[in-house]
Amino acid sequence: MGHAEQIWLLLLGLTGTGAWLAETGQAGWPLSLTVAGLIAWKGRLVIDHYMEMTTADARLRRVMYAFIVAVPLLVLASHGLGDALRDFTTLR
Amino acid sequence: MKAASAAVLPAPTCRGERVEGMTPSTPATPPSGRVPGNAGIWVGILCVLVEFLLLFCVYFVAKAHHRDAFLTGPDQLATSAGVAITCFLLTSGYCMVKAVAAIRRDRRRAAGRWVLAAFLLGLAYPLIKYFEIRWNLAHGIDGAAGIFYTTYYYLTLNHLVHVSWGLLGLLWVAARTALGVYSPHDYSGLEAAAMYWHTTDLIWLVIFPFFYVLR
Repeated sequence: MGHAEQIWLLLLGLTGTGAWLAETGQAGWPLSLTVAGLIAWKGRLVIDHYMEMTTADARLRRVMYAFIVAVPLLVLASHGLGDALRDFTTLR
Repeated sequence: MKAASAAVLPAPTCRGERVEGMTPSTPATPPSGRVPGNAGIWVGILCVLVEFLLLFCVYFVAKAHHRDAFLTGPDQLATSAGVAITCFLLTSGYCMVKAVAAIRRDRRRAAGRWVLAAFLLGLAYPLIKYFEIRWNLAHGIDGAAGIFYTTYYYLTLNHLVHVSWGLLGLLWVAARTALGVYSPHDYSGLEAAAMYWHTTDLIWLVIFPFFYVLR
């Protein structure tokens, strides 16, 4: 089995994990942490192996990595700082 | 003699430039530090990333204000539709990886077949989305069903628009590959379409857990 096939199967396997979580997951830190981890892992696989950003221009690579780090951090911030975000975005 | 000339002649990049140290017969490994595809597609890709990052902020703000709606919302959606879309997009993306690899090895007919496979697998997305929305509407889940579903339609339909552009791009690239436009010396158009397609993949990998998994 080639490298591309391994990455494809790994991505499908991680998607299966997401599907299982969708059916069984309960709201809380464990779910948010797992989802954030899955987003970061799958995103990194796509960026590194599908888009071949490991050999690309460093600035483009940093932007792609920043995106896939920012989104999981937002997931965690949303869970931990939801009330602060609600207060901050309430018009008074 | 052939080996000697190959050693002298550097191998091409995706835009026809030749790089010292690579030979045309080498299974092509692109040089580091390059811009995959072309600069134009990256302007589009960066705009798409910023656009969806802003839309994700809308999602988080809506969630912060309506926790109960986002707690129960995912239970009403068809998880199987989201999973199926993810699998088709990932498999379509895999086909584009193979298409780029094939054209680098000058296997033009194989590259054409991989792009066509990517296009056909990608078509499953709007098809599944059509049936998913029909199923939603049959269960009373329309745009006015609540803030969770309004956000869900807003983000997923926006993503569908971007996927539609990607599909048109794949169709265009499939036709040009069939016409023999791309070669190991110049395949930037094919690679640019692949980059855009992988970006739509990447964004869906975020949207899927937002609406079907997270609570």
